[in-house]
Amino acid sequence: MNGWVVTVAICLLASIGVPLFIIMGLAALAAFTFSGVEVSAVAQEMYRISSAPTLMTIPLFTFAGYLMAESHSPKRLMKLAETGLGWIPGGISIVTLIVCAFFTAFTGASGVTIIALGGVIYPILLKEGYSEKYTLGAITASGSLGLLFPPSLPIILYGLIAKVDIDKLFKAGIVPGFVIILILSIWSIYNGPKKEVKHKFVLKNFLSALKESWLEAILPVAVLIGIYGGFVTVTEAAAFTALYIFIIEVFIYKDLDIVKDIPRVSIETMSLVSGILLVLCCALAFTNYMVDEDVPMKIFALMKTYLTSKYSFLFFLNIFLLIVGSVMDIFSAIIVVVPLILPVAHDFGVNPLHLAIIFLTNLEIGYLHPPIGINLFIASNRFKKPITDLYSASIPFVVLLVIALLLITYVPSMSLFWFN
Amino acid sequence: MGIVKKLDWAIEKFASSILVASILAILFCSSLSIILRWFQINLSWIDPFVRHLVLLGTFVGGVIATGRGNHIGIDLISKFLEVKGYEHAKTIVNRVILLSSGLVLIWLIKAGTDFTRVEMEFSKVEFWGIKSGFLVLMIPIWPWTISLRFLTLFILSFEKKEGAV
Repeated sequence: MNGWVVTVAICLLASIGVPLFIIMGLAALAAFTFSGVEVSAVAQEMYRISSAPTLMTIPLFTFAGYLMAESHSPKRLMKLAETGLGWIPGGISIVTLIVCAFFTAFTGASGVTIIALGGVIYPILLKEGYSEKYTLGAITASGSLGLLFPPSLPIILYGLIAKVDIDKLFKAGIVPGFVIILILSIWSIYNGPKKEVKHKFVLKNFLSALKESWLEAILPVAVLIGIYGGFVTVTEAAAFTALYIFIIEVFIYKDLDIVKDIPRVSIETMSLVSGILLVLCCALAFTNYMVDEDVPMKIFALMKTYLTSKYSFLFFLNIFLLIVGSVMDIFSAIIVVVPLILPVAHDFGVNPLHLAIIFLTNLEIGYLHPPIGINLFIASNRFKKPITDLYSASIPFVVLLVIALLLITYVPSMSLFWFN
Repeated sequence: MGIVKKLDWAIEKFASSILVASILAILFCSSLSIILRWFQINLSWIDPFVRHLVLLGTFVGGVIATGRGNHIGIDLISKFLEVKGYEHAKTIVNRVILLSSGLVLIWLIKAGTDFTRVEMEFSKVEFWGIKSGFLVLMIPIWPWTISLRFLTLFILSFEKKEGAV
């Protein structure tokens, strides 16, 4: 009886907006107390996070992403992509998708991409003749587009929680990530303006843009070669990326002032990182309690009575994750849900890398899924548009992303392309 | 209220300074460790030091996030109240959030204190001769600061029309 009262109270507190780390902490403290275990075990679990070897990659990659977002890097990269790909039909819109994917891969938090790039992209797309509805939808959707590409923060966090090799997860996301971009690119070509402004490829302009931005443009390639060439580990890549971006933005491009801007960016970075890691610290204790109590196995046993095959499980999982993605942010969802579904998925024979990509794609959709996908609110605030306009603008993109999700779910070879 | 505001301001400034120092130290130390490895020099303290800095940054960032009201949460009801323009109800909900968060953290501080006591007895050296018993002190200390901030904001919410979180 007491357990139910506490559970209802915790759910109520969560629904009114009590920070999730408090909710997780309270759930863990209550659970340990009811089961007669010392509450110091909760603090012990919180401290355990400091022994995770890949822990430092999270602040380092986030710092690099924030430094880029705060510099003139979005403008430089946009110019490079525009001069290189702008001549293709629907090219400008495709450029938008690619540049946003690049930024989201580094910042992890899609809000940063919409805020940093939205102001640059919005007038460009309107000038090219795209409708306002399409423009808003494209920017909102592309705000979470790079989540499957290295060195995406959600991938690192997933690897940390699920104890899956982060290098392998980075590889697994590449093909599905490109498939999503391809599907949205086809849509942008189809949805292009009737009288599109014709652009010619001018080598001189492209080389000039490349000269301006090559130090930033080579970064994703350098990270991939560094990690998969065996030159650096993921942690080392994170340190180098952060140091490299710090040096080029502060001392070479001089976009950021070491006294005025760096403290502000550092605080913003650590605020985001703290938000994620605090939830992680508190959730570790609670999810470990649930694993000890065999909760995943009980869920599995219950599912087995209704779901008979791996594919029906995956279908159910997608529906469940789409709901989770539209009420929780991606980081909380990874921390809370992954430990519960991992053993169940394993028993249904789902490859852990495939599961990771399905999981992240679902949450990517959740970002722009009405009624409370966070990208919708960020875009509404950024462009001063009513939220209902954002709903109607994002629906075609949600449909396209669900098609991509079905492909990713039922064609596992896309995620497992690089593995035997 | 003046002294409460000053206290909140002081916590914000102190936490911000630690946060900036932490991220720059994480960046510097992790880069230094890699560079030294090229010259076959291995400083074994760097890795645990940086990981503890991340943990410290996590808690200190929590102090800042509390003041700015940008903790991660599932605020279905708050969003609904905001959209509908129920300002008074939203203020009450905010106060419930601030007070309940502060109180839950006090329970967490108790857990942290118990754990520290145990760790002090059976701790091992992590780096620079510092035992883990001293390092885990950050678990009761920083949640205490976050709790103080929640409760400070709760008190200040009676002065302002809108509270944080």
